[in-house]
Amino acid sequence: MNPAVVEQLRKIAGRDAVLDRPEDLMLYEYDAGIRKSTPGAVVFPQTTNQVSQIMRLASSAQVPVVARGAGTGLSGGAISREGGIVVAFSRMNRILEIDVENQRAVVQPGVVNLQLSEHVSHLGLYFAPDPSSQKACTIGGNVAENSGGPHTLMYGVTVNHVTGVEVVMPSGEVVHFGGKAAESYGYDMTGFFVGSEGTIGITTAITVKLLRKPEKVATLLAIFETVDDAGQTVSAITAAGITPAALEMLDGWTLRTIEAYCHAGYPLDAGAVLLIELDGLRESVEEHAEAVQAVCLQQKAREVRRAKTEEERALLWKGRKTAFGALGRVSPSYYTQDGVVPRSKIPATLAHIGEVSKKYDLIIGNIFHAGDGNLHPLILFDIRFPDQLERALAASKDILEYCIAVGGSITGEHGVGMEKRDLMPVLFTQEDLDVMAGLRNAFNSENLLNPDKLLPTPRMCREIFGAARNPVLVQEGM
Amino acid sequence: MSTATTTRFGAELRAICGAANVVDDPALLRGRQVLGVVPSTVVTPASADEAAAVLRVANENGLSVVPAGGFTAQNMGRKPAQVDVLLSTSRLRELEHYDAADLTIGVGAGWTVADLAAKVAADNLFFPGDPALPERATVGGLLATGFCGPHRQGYGGLRDYCIGIRFVTGDGHKAKGGGRVVKNVAGYDMMKLLIGSYGTLGVITSASFKLFPAPRQTRTFIAEFPGAAEAFQFRNQVLRSPLDPICLELVSPGARQLLHGFGSDGPWLVLLRAAGSDPVLARYRAELGSAVARELEGINEREAWRALSNFSHTVEERCPQSLLLSLQLPLREVGPILQQLATVSASLKHAVIGRFGAGHLLVALWQPSGSTVQAKAFADAIAGLRHRLPIDASIAVLSCPPEVRADIAWIATPTHVESMRVVKKVLDPNDTLNHGRFLF
Repeated sequence: MNPAVVEQLRKIAGRDAVLDRPEDLMLYEYDAGIRKSTPGAVVFPQTTNQVSQIMRLASSAQVPVVARGAGTGLSGGAISREGGIVVAFSRMNRILEIDVENQRAVVQPGVVNLQLSEHVSHLGLYFAPDPSSQKACTIGGNVAENSGGPHTLMYGVTVNHVTGVEVVMPSGEVVHFGGKAAESYGYDMTGFFVGSEGTIGITTAITVKLLRKPEKVATLLAIFETVDDAGQTVSAITAAGITPAALEMLDGWTLRTIEAYCHAGYPLDAGAVLLIELDGLRESVEEHAEAVQAVCLQQKAREVRRAKTEEERALLWKGRKTAFGALGRVSPSYYTQDGVVPRSKIPATLAHIGEVSKKYDLIIGNIFHAGDGNLHPLILFDIRFPDQLERALAASKDILEYCIAVGGSITGEHGVGMEKRDLMPVLFTQEDLDVMAGLRNAFNSENLLNPDKLLPTPRMCREIFGAARNPVLVQEGM
Repeated sequence: MSTATTTRFGAELRAICGAANVVDDPALLRGRQVLGVVPSTVVTPASADEAAAVLRVANENGLSVVPAGGFTAQNMGRKPAQVDVLLSTSRLRELEHYDAADLTIGVGAGWTVADLAAKVAADNLFFPGDPALPERATVGGLLATGFCGPHRQGYGGLRDYCIGIRFVTGDGHKAKGGGRVVKNVAGYDMMKLLIGSYGTLGVITSASFKLFPAPRQTRTFIAEFPGAAEAFQFRNQVLRSPLDPICLELVSPGARQLLHGFGSDGPWLVLLRAAGSDPVLARYRAELGSAVARELEGINEREAWRALSNFSHTVEERCPQSLLLSLQLPLREVGPILQQLATVSASLKHAVIGRFGAGHLLVALWQPSGSTVQAKAFADAIAGLRHRLPIDASIAVLSCPPEVRADIAWIATPTHVESMRVVKKVLDPNDTLNHGRFLF
């Protein structure tokens, strides 16, 4: 990177707040996905004003910028373009305000997801979005990717819990969308911003909802002989008029792998299990727990266990939430997908994933948010063998195309990022994508802010020919 | 607009939608006035493709277009200078998908809310949208106005359960956001931009929604309070409790006088609607204790909630000279604002209802009978309210007397206005849609 730009970054953020040595930059070249790209510098701002100055600098020096939280994303959202600036938010990690009466918190983007819930726990409150990486991932990253988690089924993804944002625009201007009210008149810029994957602006303060902790929680483990039986049960629970807080599925291979790692008490000989959580008023939780148990047994569950203590409950969730660590023990690399299908298509989709596994000769585990049809097939491979990576990518594409074909989507909570943007044209028409690109270009006119994300590869005329008034999309290579 | 323009573009519009679906007979147009402005043409496309073609013609020729559904919320905004094309969504009646097992449905924008609700009710499912006049109000209009009704408390807003949207931009491009599945973060969230955009960013042609299991039984608990302060205190007690009502509605003494079936006289009311089995309802009874004066169920209960959903329409019908404001407030601000209403509008009468557990209030202000409309009294009341609200509260004027229409700021929002203008410029570059009526 141009040393003058690095020097400017040091002036803005402080001498100890910029990294540019190759050995340091290597730590910022990847996220939890599989893409890599080395930035030219990493800067750690401490204030909104510094972020604003960094944006102005990037614009005048024509260097691409990407915001980064904890780097736990799975779609390459936080990966820089080669030689770009990474704005890392680990020093903007303060909880700015807890407003109990308004049921809101205002946080800086670097606040760790779980840390917020722990911070307000004594008030009987919590922050609902709970990605599996919640011990590490940041709320700024959750906002960028519109992250979900197991309890999304009942409570919604991040956008349903954000009511206001402070945003630094690519020009360096600091603007505000929304506030503490649940909704605001005028265009819902807050809702549009959440999930824009860092392509519209960089958020520096986020107003989120705090929910009251449920009075009662029941956690059930339903054990099935086959994946198909478990899949059918998901629809049957919904048909019974019950919306659990969370409804997760683990297939036999995955739960055995996890059990060997963390001894959560999962049955080793099962075909699949459903991890079902109900929460709310004591009376309704009891009724629903009994009803769910009855549905599971009708749908050929071998056994339904219920956590008797908070420790038992925590153990069941520990297995679910540390699954990725467990898989790391048995495979050098794995590729996690995030496709979504209508709930009723889960059994057919799992059967298809089984065929894909055979076709590409790769082990594929399934551990996912069954209640809302959000699949996470884990494709195991060894990155040291290029043909295996190729097969893993091909298998992944095959699965996502199947999801789209049955009326689903390519991402439920991880974002499009770099890895899925070339599938966007399968989901959206060129006209749909042109409208989205029009919005991106209007806010991020030089496309310096998180380029190469969310929208597919076509290059804009303006990038080739300079700033066109009304950019027209042309295919790459034209 | 002149008849000459109609003649010039009439043939093009007829070629797109068919002669029967392009009306320019002045006698028939008079019934489709928008704030007193008679449109030059009413065009009723049968598909998103036709709607896009209509908008291309309008956009290329500088015609102004007003999208319209059931005509239940066209009293908003400034009076348009002219309406060249009234684009009716009434023929966009396709059922795009209905997956009862998946709890999702996608329908054309011209479906009425009542038809949608009835369709899914047959499978024991529930659509929470609860606008005024659901037999006339359309799905497109519900989304465009971002209507917030009593179910806001328990089911969230449209932004929480609309999962996909198709629309045509002001310059005639078909576009979409989201899809048919309940969880989906692919691409920009176009639903959020279109919901509450009052037809200024695009013409919504269809949308998909998350549905909910229909409650097996509900009960409404009614509590009475001598003043707003006590009602607000009760609200806070409910919000702090483990209870999870599907509606939590405030009704002021003034509102009781306007609404049917609420007794023409009496103190402040809070209506709490709960869903659940007998033991669950018993728990509500125990928690709410002596505050509850009576309970409603069955037809009486349904009628009460229908009346509350219809409040905005009732105000327009019974007090046509009133100003109707919608306030979105941080939860804490609800109490102080209720108490200040009397001082803010000293010379005016007022009625308030709202899902105050979610921070939403509807406030009607009108002059005592006999006195003439004084624009200043209304303007002062709005200014007084704004002055007392925190910066992150927002206000929309839902209707007002014609005398004050020109002078009113229709929307006050904490959101950066220039960013909204950027969005408007991209989606409706020539200001074809609802020109000058709302924000811009």
